[in-house]
Amino acid sequence: MGAAGLTLDLALAGLAVGSAAALSGVGLVVTYRATGVLNLAQGAQAMATAYLLRELVVVHHWPLALAAVCCLLVAAPALGVLLDLAVFRPLQRRGAGPAETMVAGIGVFVLLIGAAVLIWGTAPYGDAPPLVEGTALAQPGGHVLRLDTAVQLATVLVLATTVGLVSRYTRFGVRLRAVVDNRALAQLAGVDADRISSAGWAFGSFTAGLVGVLLAPFLLLDPYGLPLLVMETMAVAVAARLRSLPVAVVTGLALGVAQSELTRLRPAGQLLPLAQAVQTNLFVVALLVAALLPWSGGSDDTGLALPGGGRGGRGATAARTACTVLVLLPLGFHADDLRHALLVPALALVLLSVVVVTGYGGQVSLGQAGYAGLGALGTALLMSGKVPGLPALPAVPALLLAVAVTVPLGLLTGWPAIRRRGLALALVTFAVGTALSRLVFDQPYATTGLTVSRDGMPTGDRGFYTVELVLLGVGLLVVRNLHRGRLGRALTAMRDHQAGASAAGVDVPRLKLLVFMAGAGLAALGGGLMALGGQAFDPTAFDPVQGLLWFATVVVAGADSAAGAVLAAALLVGLDAGTAAGVSAVVVGALATVLGRMPGGLAGLARRAADRATVPARPGPGQEAALTPLGRRLRERIAERAP
Amino acid sequence: MELRGVRVRYGLLEALHGVDLACPAGRVTVLLGRNGSGRTTVLRTVAGVVRPSAGQVLWQGRETAGLDAYRRARAGLALVPAERGVFGSLTVAENLGLSEPGTVEPSFPELLPLLTRRAGTLSGGQQQMVALARALLARPRLLLLDEPGRGLAPAVVARLHELLFRVAAEGRTVVLAEQGLPPTLEAAAVVHVLRRGRIAFSGEPSELRGLVR
Repeated sequence: MGAAGLTLDLALAGLAVGSAAALSGVGLVVTYRATGVLNLAQGAQAMATAYLLRELVVVHHWPLALAAVCCLLVAAPALGVLLDLAVFRPLQRRGAGPAETMVAGIGVFVLLIGAAVLIWGTAPYGDAPPLVEGTALAQPGGHVLRLDTAVQLATVLVLATTVGLVSRYTRFGVRLRAVVDNRALAQLAGVDADRISSAGWAFGSFTAGLVGVLLAPFLLLDPYGLPLLVMETMAVAVAARLRSLPVAVVTGLALGVAQSELTRLRPAGQLLPLAQAVQTNLFVVALLVAALLPWSGGSDDTGLALPGGGRGGRGATAARTACTVLVLLPLGFHADDLRHALLVPALALVLLSVVVVTGYGGQVSLGQAGYAGLGALGTALLMSGKVPGLPALPAVPALLLAVAVTVPLGLLTGWPAIRRRGLALALVTFAVGTALSRLVFDQPYATTGLTVSRDGMPTGDRGFYTVELVLLGVGLLVVRNLHRGRLGRALTAMRDHQAGASAAGVDVPRLKLLVFMAGAGLAALGGGLMALGGQAFDPTAFDPVQGLLWFATVVVAGADSAAGAVLAAALLVGLDAGTAAGVSAVVVGALATVLGRMPGGLAGLARRAADRATVPARPGPGQEAALTPLGRRLRERIAERAP
Repeated sequence: MELRGVRVRYGLLEALHGVDLACPAGRVTVLLGRNGSGRTTVLRTVAGVVRPSAGQVLWQGRETAGLDAYRRARAGLALVPAERGVFGSLTVAENLGLSEPGTVEPSFPELLPLLTRRAGTLSGGQQQMVALARALLARPRLLLLDEPGRGLAPAVVARLHELLFRVAAEGRTVVLAEQGLPPTLEAAAVVHVLRRGRIAFSGEPSELRGLVR
């Protein structure tokens, strides 16, 4: 067979992945166009439907056709309607911003993954039933197109065409677009917005389920792999700017074919591993490129500031006290329990990095796990003597140097943040985190031959924990200084109203770079401590899915609460150590989905409860209100000035 | 349409403190008041956008509590809000088609050449015309308008007021919220003046003018 024949065969093979990616992209675009929400949970919905189909067919021996109908036409749409009713509709009714909606989507993602781990465990299954057999269809010239690929391709084209026609030319389509444009106004125009958005969610969930059951037979089905793969195909939807179905279809197919064709590329020497990494992770590279191209982030061009819970007060003091007690407690633990607790200060530092970037700076960063991974990998490389020109370093200098190198790398997300806001920035940060995980951490040099020890530090767990506490204290001091005085006020102004802050003389671009660099440094310190605590570099610990769980945890705890981040770290580690795998994700995910009912997260809830407890009771008729000293002075002044 | 003792709260703040007013069918009623007086809240309460914490909203003799905004719209109520009254991502024709596919209100011939344009790309005055045309096309029995003249040329405002009197003459109820009483609305049947969430005056425009003098 000649070169042209090989090219055609590879292209036909690439259509299988390409059509699945196109289908995933179409699903995301359709859900966005129907509901106004970028459904970050789509991958988890796909995974849940694929698991359900496998359960019915393989475990309960249902006929495939019946099981497929139940999963795709009943269970998947029902899940979509449930999400609309329980999670997204209350947020829309409350007029929640895009940040809260996005966090709710991440919460659903985390919740479904946690539930899958609880129900089906983490062991991968290789027997997901295919909807269509992979029979070879002979083509002219002896080329082969598989039946399942042809069916996938036809499904994508029919679905995209139907959605396009319905959206543009039917009364339902116009009403649907009206609801997405302005829900309240649509209701005033007599449109039942609730029913329309439920239909949008049902259809979006159906397409997510279809993607899941089509992709699962090609993979090992586990709770993490399929959701992440579907999230990587977000490149297709981002390239289509969440609007254009034809662009989504063409991009998906083109990427699939390109990935297949790139297998022929075999550059000599040191470029080979890079070429292979790019070929394997082409969708990640495409997501990064698509997110970095100028884009306003769909129709949402607003910031993604999360509602803060307020500051100070008795609640904050209580949280700080609880925090201190909790982190000191493990010093009295038995050796086995203390080993689990080693993760608490390290994770707290990573979560603090989210507090700085998102809670204080108002910049949603879904890629902090990437910086934590850089800190861990840097520490491991420096300790193993794998950095050219440097000898193997002891633990402390290796850790500090890794942090110092990672701080300027904060510009990877800080620089794009200068010109991006909202969804566009969230996607860039997620893409950077995913690219770091796939192209840097998952490479052979990072997964083999690295040694991490506590050389030059207290080798015992108790001594190491004490060092961790000291570094956590330093991190908290840095965070405290960022949140006080002139700098703190400037950050708050930038978070609450970027344009207003600029008008008031705040150097917003510089401040953004500062928070991203500070965040990168804190995350790297936490990541390095994780590696030293476990005495190994584990790339899966810095997976993008893990990053989403950490982000949701911080927001649930209270995005602007440093004490909340430390408590959340203790809670996550405690749940992981004391309960079944998946429980922590279920708890965090469930709380994130009800965030619309508790602005400011758990910290906000605690502050409001403390405020209520300290507000004096209203005076009865004829009674004088109890005044604070300031109140008494004000009343006296008013009385003096009264005519 | 009638409000009896209506109170509305936005969180801790009470915007309406027991408002009583009646808007007779077949006439134009004007709600007058400064910014923050509560006139927009009255319209939003009647339309079902906000729910009263106390009191009753009666329409066609029936209590409307529990009726969603879209059900009120389908029953013949239309509200033209003061701002963002159009669907910016839809074309003008699609905006109008939400009420009545394929027709354009003849009172706004200015819209005819703009039918294929996205409403979000129009000027403020053109958007206001689209919002008014969409409401009128629904042939509502109760038409609520919040400062409908905002952004429109004086000649267009005068034409709009004439049109509203014609709509009312067909037996329908028209309620406008305004900051001041323009001469073209002096023939209105009833004027209610709102001040800090309470009715400060109810009566004929001539009585109000007498009081002001």
